[in-house]
Amino acid sequence: MIKIRMPLFITRHVLLALILGGVAGIGFMVFLTEFDHFTSTEAFCTNCHSMELVAEPYRESVHFRPASGVRASCGDCHVSEGVFAATWDHFIGGKDLYNQIFGPDYDDPVIAKLHMPEAAFSAREWFRKRDSATCKRCHVKEAIYGTRPDTVEIHKQDAKDKSCIECHYNLVHAKVPAESVFKRDEWNRMIEQEFDLKRGAADKLLEE
Amino acid sequence: MRNVRTTRWYLHLLLFAFPLWLGVISTSLADKVSLDSSNWGLEEGEACISCHKKSSAGLTHQWQSSAHASAGVNCLDCHYADQVDKDAIEHEGSIIATIVSPKDCGRCHTREYKETEGSVHSKALSLIENRIPALADNLTGQEMVTAGCAKCHGSKVEVRGDGSLSPNSWPNTGIGRINPDGSRGSCSACHGRHSFSKAQARDPSACVWCHSGPESPDREVFDSSKHGMLFAANREKMNLHSDEWVLGKDYSAAPTCVTCHMGATPGVTASHDVGMRDAWNLNQPISEKQSLIIFEDGDRRELPESQPAPRRGTEISKLDGSMGKVKAVASSKRRRQIMSKVCLECHSKGFANGFMKQFDNVVELYNEKFGKPAQAIMLALYDMNLLTPAPFDDPLEFTYWRLWHDEGTRARHGAAMMSPNFTWWEGMHLVGQNFYGEFLPQVRELAGTEKADQLINEHVLSLDEHSWLKNPSKPNPILGYGIGKPSHD
Repeated sequence: MIKIRMPLFITRHVLLALILGGVAGIGFMVFLTEFDHFTSTEAFCTNCHSMELVAEPYRESVHFRPASGVRASCGDCHVSEGVFAATWDHFIGGKDLYNQIFGPDYDDPVIAKLHMPEAAFSAREWFRKRDSATCKRCHVKEAIYGTRPDTVEIHKQDAKDKSCIECHYNLVHAKVPAESVFKRDEWNRMIEQEFDLKRGAADKLLEE
Repeated sequence: MRNVRTTRWYLHLLLFAFPLWLGVISTSLADKVSLDSSNWGLEEGEACISCHKKSSAGLTHQWQSSAHASAGVNCLDCHYADQVDKDAIEHEGSIIATIVSPKDCGRCHTREYKETEGSVHSKALSLIENRIPALADNLTGQEMVTAGCAKCHGSKVEVRGDGSLSPNSWPNTGIGRINPDGSRGSCSACHGRHSFSKAQARDPSACVWCHSGPESPDREVFDSSKHGMLFAANREKMNLHSDEWVLGKDYSAAPTCVTCHMGATPGVTASHDVGMRDAWNLNQPISEKQSLIIFEDGDRRELPESQPAPRRGTEISKLDGSMGKVKAVASSKRRRQIMSKVCLECHSKGFANGFMKQFDNVVELYNEKFGKPAQAIMLALYDMNLLTPAPFDDPLEFTYWRLWHDEGTRARHGAAMMSPNFTWWEGMHLVGQNFYGEFLPQVRELAGTEKADQLINEHVLSLDEHSWLKNPSKPNPILGYGIGKPSHD
């Protein structure tokens, strides 16, 4: 029988604690992985009605229904790769849940659309900071052939030092102008027209 | 003797001072961009080209072979936009606008911008806005405003809150387009993008995409005129690519639309105010001679000469409803003088005046014999409630519309530009057929014999032009009467 010589400080209790801790640690990691996985699904995200409003245009988009059948769900784009980064994203994303419960009534399509630009701007910023990392999970710049003969050249040469999000936004959700040219007044007028509201009603709702 | 000479001297002075004062200074050169070239060639704009060569090779190629490209004017120089501009968008890191408005072009082409801004072209939409409901709501549908009316007259471009241009108003290159920056018009209506070639805009095809068809049958008229005949046969002699294009100096083989309506001749400067040389309004139920009112801010409007000409310094309403101070009034006679000056490069004074007389005679014949009586009868029928105020709910309204708008316009435009076919067969011949063969019988049907006879006696039979109706026994063999009878020779 081989006798392993344990250092003296490893008593039976310590050994037990290490084993239990290890198992618990593995369990926790598995939990986080599963948690991140589950909370990245479209089904989970659209539990909140307000997210259903965001998902509607998504379901019309190529990311939902590509010819190849490779469907990107919410988390594929909006949650980072890796269990720690993913968990962190979910932790930060928790503020949306807080706002959903304690903030304005985002379930109201008017309210949701009024607040949408800020959400879009911060989402774009999120992509930019990460150098469009989640896009690159599926897309490889050098492999973008497109439908036009020169698309591949454009991506190899002109977009060489650019991050996906710099050119490709307004692909999936309702169109929002770039922050640099966004005009709150015009946006509010558009919502009033779309939802048949009186002029100025949107501004009032936004103040509330 | 001395007095006569002095008067004559004054007359000459006046004659020459007028073009001067209208800005038609006797230089015959087209205006060049006077800005220093440091004003264009934005560095940021150079970056557009590499990508657009691939993504939209067609338009890039057009630009590459343009005068803009050889002068170093790049994409961003024209498409540059300010963050606060209504239609500003972010595009690959630059803030740009899709629409390059006349105001944008005017950053360099200031004079052309000023000339078009006040011209009747830039008001092409506002001039017909009140007619649109009748044609779109009643006769057809709103879709036609976008796809029909606005294609020539211009759309009011709508920028949506999400920054996109509404497809109800864009794409559009109508010449009276109301742009997001408030300016009116569209340079690319005539100067096709992205080559903006001089030769292309000098070709009649630059005009005929709108100036064809019943409302403005100028393509058909020009093509079947002596001028059009000469142009078709001598196209390669037209020197269309010439830097300057002065009649009698750079070309002489044929006149085009540009030549007479805006072109340069020795003594007449080119102007982008295309309607400036028109004495008549030929697109109304009754034509009137019109003076051109020039406001202090450079805006212009036409005023029928039946109305008293405003004095210099008085305020009258502009076409957009606002008030403007009158700077000058050009009478129809003076407008005609400028047009006639173009004729004189190729024709004698007697020839030109004789032609103008023939033209005026046709317009006056149309007015007196058909336009005025038909309008008077229509107004009476509306007054008597025999017609409802809504247009086009009675066959007579179509007949009347066709009479002045389609056939009457063809006759008048035909006479203005010497197409015998359009003046007569496609024009006045149809006006006459319609008036006697459809309009009057329909009036009888609608109003009943008694009321109709009263109207027709008052407005038609009282005129000498229609006295033949009272003389039914006067024969003519045109329809076969009397042919074969021994008495017919």
